[in-house]
Amino acid sequence: MPTRPLSPHLSVYRMSRYTLATSITNRFTGVALSAGLLLLVYWLMALAGGPQSYARALRVLAAPPARLIYAALVIAFCYHLVAGLRHLVWDTGHGLERAQSQRSAWLVVGVSILLMLLILYRALGTHGS
Amino acid sequence: MAEFRLPANSRPVPGISHPAPPGAREVRTFRIYRFNPDSTENPRIDTFVLEVKATGPMVLDALIQIKSTLDSTLTFRRSCREGICGSCAMNVNGVNRLACTTSMQDLGAGIRIYPLPHMPVVKDLVPDLTNFYAQYAAVKPWLQSRTPPPPDRERLQSKEDQDKIDRPAACILCACCSTACPSYWWNSERFLGPAALLAAYRWIIDSRDEASGERLDELEDPFRLYRCHTIMNCTDVCPKDLNPARAIAEIKKMLLGRQE
Repeated sequence: MPTRPLSPHLSVYRMSRYTLATSITNRFTGVALSAGLLLLVYWLMALAGGPQSYARALRVLAAPPARLIYAALVIAFCYHLVAGLRHLVWDTGHGLERAQSQRSAWLVVGVSILLMLLILYRALGTHGS
Repeated sequence: MAEFRLPANSRPVPGISHPAPPGAREVRTFRIYRFNPDSTENPRIDTFVLEVKATGPMVLDALIQIKSTLDSTLTFRRSCREGICGSCAMNVNGVNRLACTTSMQDLGAGIRIYPLPHMPVVKDLVPDLTNFYAQYAAVKPWLQSRTPPPPDRERLQSKEDQDKIDRPAACILCACCSTACPSYWWNSERFLGPAALLAAYRWIIDSRDEASGERLDELEDPFRLYRCHTIMNCTDVCPKDLNPARAIAEIKKMLLGRQE
């Protein structure tokens, strides 16, 4: 008997479901944050390398492409933090009804956007002064 | 490691398009996954068109109509047509549901029907549920007791204790939840999946059961239980409005609680 085919999964399942969308975004932002730590490692290595390497690193880290990465990391951080709090609440056994988790999905999106705007506002504000 | 791409023999190819019935005015188009185990060809997506007015209200009505009027080889499981047997679970427009309780009115003019996701396909919309049933059996879904029953009556239970198991015990094992769970997709050999874990929970909290400790021991495993990452797809799709996600969270809490 030939082997049975595997039924389609990722290609057919509706990814825009609030359950999958919030979960996948949480995964991706988590991975992005881990990758973003490489920047911190780079900074620390430059710091350990002495004044010259540190000055060079500062130039690299202040360049526009690096700033774009910071903005992306801020977005990832805000979402991952708020979504993590949602998971924390779930782990206490609360908020697991269907309607509740639907509401909290929107809450996570809303609060993380607010947090993001607040951080960006503060960052731009101190930059201006 | 999770395999995100379908194996080469599983990728669907375009199939046969059946024309709309002559003179039909308002129609619905069905794109249905087909696989014939007697041929060596890949699965294909066939297209059928039915007139809305001439079809019953539910997805299952349409499938039965296609089978009896357009293509008698279309294969699917069905029995009760009222959401209690769990046979006609399938993926309709990207979400797992029972074909018999899913009204087509809410689905629009284009309906895509696939077998339950990430399962071996026996034929067309019939998945092989052997592993799923084995996992159910693995949680020993029966009353385990050591003390002898009272000589003059059955093992009684308070109303409150019955209330606790009332909902979890209403599971019909349709497999909508487990096959909607990405963790189950990637680890179905080792992760028990929401349906089996809901059943485990139902017996752990049963006031008459005396094997809760052993049941929890069996579940305390990085894969069997802890592959659940609270994605919530299980609770989202359950056609009986049950809550496997909460059952799993409660089991995790019990495991944590007994460490103290």
